Amino acid sequence: MKKTIVLGVIGADCHAVGNKILEHAFTQAGFNVINIGVLSPQEDFINAAIETNAEAILVSSLYGHGEIDCRGLREKCDEAGLKDILLYVGGNLVVGKQDWNSVEQRFKDMGFNRVYPPGTSPDTAINDLKHDLGVE
Amino acid sequence: MELKNKKLSRDEFLKIREEVLNQWPTGRDVDLEEAAQYLKSVPDYKNFCVKLKKAKDEGITLAQPRAGVALVDAHIELLKYLQNEGGADLLPSTIDSYTRQNRYSECEVGIEESKKAGRSMLNGFPAVNYGVKECRRVYESLELPLQARHGTPDSRLLSEIIHASGWTSNEGGGISYNIPYAKSVSVEKSLTDWQYCDRLVGIYEEMGIHINREPFGPLTGTLVPPSMSNAVAIIEGLLAAEQGVKNLTLGYGQCGNLIQDVAAIRALVEQAEEYFKEYGYDIELTTVFHQWMGGFPADESKAFGVICTGSAAAALAGATKVIVKTPHEAVGIPTKEANAAGIKATKQTLNLLRGQRLPLSKELKDEIELIKAETKCIIDEVLKLGKGDIAVGTVKAFEAGVLDIPFAPSRYNAGKMLPARDNNGAVRYLEFGNVPMNKEIRDYNRKLLEERAKYEGRDVSFQMVVDDIFAVGRGVLIGRPEK
Repeated sequence: MKKTIVLGVIGADCHAVGNKILEHAFTQAGFNVINIGVLSPQEDFINAAIETNAEAILVSSLYGHGEIDCRGLREKCDEAGLKDILLYVGGNLVVGKQDWNSVEQRFKDMGFNRVYPPGTSPDTAINDLKHDLGVE
Repeated sequence: MELKNKKLSRDEFLKIREEVLNQWPTGRDVDLEEAAQYLKSVPDYKNFCVKLKKAKDEGITLAQPRAGVALVDAHIELLKYLQNEGGADLLPSTIDSYTRQNRYSECEVGIEESKKAGRSMLNGFPAVNYGVKECRRVYESLELPLQARHGTPDSRLLSEIIHASGWTSNEGGGISYNIPYAKSVSVEKSLTDWQYCDRLVGIYEEMGIHINREPFGPLTGTLVPPSMSNAVAIIEGLLAAEQGVKNLTLGYGQCGNLIQDVAAIRALVEQAEEYFKEYGYDIELTTVFHQWMGGFPADESKAFGVICTGSAAAALAGATKVIVKTPHEAVGIPTKEANAAGIKATKQTLNLLRGQRLPLSKELKDEIELIKAETKCIIDEVLKLGKGDIAVGTVKAFEAGVLDIPFAPSRYNAGKMLPARDNNGAVRYLEFGNVPMNKEIRDYNRKLLEERAKYEGRDVSFQMVVDDIFAVGRGVLIGRPEK
C-alpha cells in the first residue's frame, strides 16, 4: 500500500520549479503525492492531509517568509486531529544568509521533524521519509 | 468591461482609479495633478528614461541590482550602499511577496515583526503600506533613477504610489507578472489590470513626464526558449504602447549558450522594432539582460563565475542594462555587502568589454534567424486567435497552449511545452505541446536534441530536463548523466 504525502509551497511563495521536481521524484520513489502546489495557506495543507489520510506534510518555502508562514502549523495540525503527523520543511527558509544550525533549531522548535537547507537533493528527503515511516 | 487592445479613455481610467485608490488607506494620498508637479521636478540624472537613452547612444551597458527590505530607513541605507559602495548605475526597490499578492495586512505584520526582530522579515519593500510620503523619502535620499521590481498581477495601486513618488520605471506586465507569479489569476484579469498601469504611464507622458516601462523578460527563469520569451516581450510591448507608453525596455534572461544569448537580444530588438513600426507606435526601445535566473552554485567564488559570464554575454550582446545576481543567490536574499560584490564583479566585466560586440558569424546569424522565425510563428497564431486583437489573442493563446511557459505556477498556463538543452547548451523545444511551429523548425529542434541524446548515450526524455535544471548549481551548463 502506497504511503500518501501532501506536498506544497507555503504562503505567498510562487516558486514552482522545485515543487514540480519534488512531485516527480517522490512519485518515482513510490509515494502517493498530493501536490497542492504554490501559494498554499496552512489550512490547505491540513485539509488535504485530512481528506487523503496522509502520513506526512512536506512544506517548501523559497522566498524568505517561511519563518512567518510556518508558525503555528504544528498546533493547527494538532487541533485538526493530525496528531504526530510528520512535518518536513525545506528551502531558503529565512531572509538572508544565516547560520544554518540556528535556522534548523528555530524550525524544530516550531514542531518540524526534519528541516532541510537549500540545495538538498530530493533523494535525501525520500530516504529520511522512508526511514521515518518505517518503509524500505 | 470586455478586454480589448484599445487605449483606455480618460473617463474609463478615472472610473477604475476611484476603486483602485480605495484598496488600501495610503491610496487616498495619491493626487494625479500634484504627482505630476512632483515628477516634473525629477532631474535628468534621476530619470530612468534619460539615463537609459544616454547609455544606448553611447553603446554602454548599465548595471542594476535587485534589493529591498521591510523597513524604510534600512531600505534607504541598503540602496545608498549599493549606490556608493557597489557603484550601481540604476537602483531598484524590490517589493515583498505579500504586496505582490495584494495582502497588505500581512505586510503590516511583517513590518511590525521586522521592527521587533531587528532584521527584515519580509523579502522586499512593502511600498503600498508606506504610501507616497515614505516612498518619496526613499527617492529623495538617492542620487540615481529608481524602479519598482516585483511580480504583482494586480499592481495598479502600487504603480500609482511609486510613480507619484518619483520612481520613473516600473517592471512587469499582464503576462510576465501573472503566469510566473500567480496560481489562479486569469490572463484576462491581469492583462486588464496592466492596461491600467500602462495607461497611467501614458497619461503622465501626455503631461510631458517620461516614465519607463519594463516587461519582465525571464518569465520563470527556467529553460525558457528565447522565442517564447521574446514573443511575450513583444506582445507586452505592443500592449503597453497602445496605452501610450513611449519608453520601453524589453528583457531576456540568460540561457547560457553565448551565441544563443547574443542572438536572442539582437532578434528581440530587430523584431520588436519591426512590430512597433507595423502598428505605428513611436517607441524609444532599450534592452535588459538578466544574469542567470536559475539555480546557482552555493560556493561564492563559483557564483561569481556565473555572474561574470552573464555580464560578458550582456556586454557582447549590446544590452542597455544588465540585472545583477549576487554570490548569496543559492541561499536567498543577500546582505548588502554580497549585493555590492555582485555589482562590482559585473561592472568590472562590463568595463573590460566596453565597446566590444560579438561579430556576426554564420552561427550567430543563423541563430538570430531561427529565433525570429520561431517568434513569428507564435505571434502570428496569437493574432489569428484574437482576430487581429493581440490582447484577446493572448487570452486565447494561453487557453490553447500556443503561449506556454515552462514550469509556471499558473493554472491558466498549459504546461505542455518542455524545453531542454542541445549539445552546445542552447535551449531548445523538447516537447512543443501546442506551441505552433512549422515542420522545418520542429525537425531542427528535434535533430539538435537527438544529437545530444546520442552523445550522452540515452534517449531524449524528461530526465534531461531535470538534469538541466540542476546543472548550473552543480557547476556545469548541460545536465549530462554521471559517468
